[in-house]
Amino acid sequence: MPLMPKKVKYRKQQRGRRTGKAWRGATLAFGDYGLKALEPAWLTDRQIEAARIAMTRFIKRGGKVWIRVFPDKPITKKPAETRMGKGKGAPEGWVAVVKPGRMLFEMEGVSKDIAEEALRLAAHKLPFPTKFVARPVAE
Amino acid sequence: MRTAIKIDAVPRPARGKNEARRLRAQGMIPAVLYGGYQDSVAVAVNPKDVLKILHSKTGHNTIFDVNVRGGESSPAMFVDWQYDPVKDTLLHVDLKRIDLTKRIRVSVPVVTHGEPKGVKAQGGLLEIVTREVEIECLPDEIPEQFNVDTTELLIGQSIRAGDLALQGSMKLVTSADNVIAHVVALRAEAAPTAEAAPEAAATPAAGESEPQVIKKGKKEEEAEAEGKKK
Repeated sequence: MPLMPKKVKYRKQQRGRRTGKAWRGATLAFGDYGLKALEPAWLTDRQIEAARIAMTRFIKRGGKVWIRVFPDKPITKKPAETRMGKGKGAPEGWVAVVKPGRMLFEMEGVSKDIAEEALRLAAHKLPFPTKFVARPVAE
Repeated sequence: MRTAIKIDAVPRPARGKNEARRLRAQGMIPAVLYGGYQDSVAVAVNPKDVLKILHSKTGHNTIFDVNVRGGESSPAMFVDWQYDPVKDTLLHVDLKRIDLTKRIRVSVPVVTHGEPKGVKAQGGLLEIVTREVEIECLPDEIPEQFNVDTTELLIGQSIRAGDLALQGSMKLVTSADNVIAHVVALRAEAAPTAEAAPEAAATPAAGESEPQVIKKGKKEEEAEAEGKKK
C-alpha cells in the first residue's frame, strides 16, 4: 500500500512554490540520528518507500525508524501524445514538499556507524543531496 | 548553574531583518535581553561565546553575566536560540535576566545509562521518549542533568518522570506520569513484508493512488440545491 492520505478534500492541487528553508521539522525530534535534506524537491511516495526499505534492510531488526515526511500533495499528469488543453490531467501519484533543512528520517537503537551507513543507503534513493545529523554531545 | 562566564553585549539601535543580516555578516548575531522587571534591550553578541555556553555541560541552563556596553551587568540565561536549518549557524538568542533569589522553571536534560535487560536478554528496543523534563527550582540548584539507570528495565516496563530523584527544593513541573524511557518489543511484521516484496511495495499500481474524496455535508448540498432553484 503506497503512502498517501486516506481522505482528501479535493482530488487535484496547484503546484505551488518551494521557496525558503524548512523552519519547522528541521531538528531531531525522536531519534539520535537523522537525515536532513539540503535542497528543495518533491519527494514521491515511492522514493520514501525505497529509502525506508533500504534503511530497514540494513539495520535488520535493530533500531527504530521514524519517517518525518508524508506525501500529501497529489500530482497529476496528462496521458502521452495528448494535445494541450481539455483540463487538468488525472492524479498520478503523491509527493511530499521538501524544503532545505527538512529532517526526513530519524533513527534510534543502533550504533552511529550502522545509522550512518543505513542513512547513506537511504540517501541514494533520494533526488537531492542530504546530510547525516546526530545529537550533539556536551563538551 | 551559576558560572563565572561573562558575555559582552553591544546595544543595537537599528532593527529589522536587513540590519540583522548586516550584523551577521560582521560576525555578530542579534539578541534580546529582557526580564527582571526592566525594559528589554536589543543587543548584538558574539556567536562563539554563545555556542561555547550552549555546548558546555550545563548547556542552556548555564547562568552567566551579561555586560551591556555602557550600561548594566546582570546574571542571565538563555530562553530561546535559533539555528539556521541548513547551515547550522546561530541566528538569534533570547537572554533573560535572572533573579538569583527567585525560583525559575527550567528544562533539564535526562540522560539514560546502561543496557536494559529487556534489550540484552529479551531482544527489545530501548526507546527514549522524553529527553528533557521541566522543573522549578532556585537558580543555584539547577542540576546539570538527571541520570537514569535503565539496566533493570524489561520489555513493557518504563521509567517515568515521577521516578526521577529530585534534590533540594526542586519541584517537578512536567507531569509525573510522563514516560522517560521504555523498552518495547520490536515489531516482527515490518521487516519481512518489506524484504519479501520490495519491488511490489515500491511500484504500486496506478489506480491505487486515489483516496476517498470528502463529500459535502447534507446541509451544504441542500443549500446549494435551493440556490440553484432560485
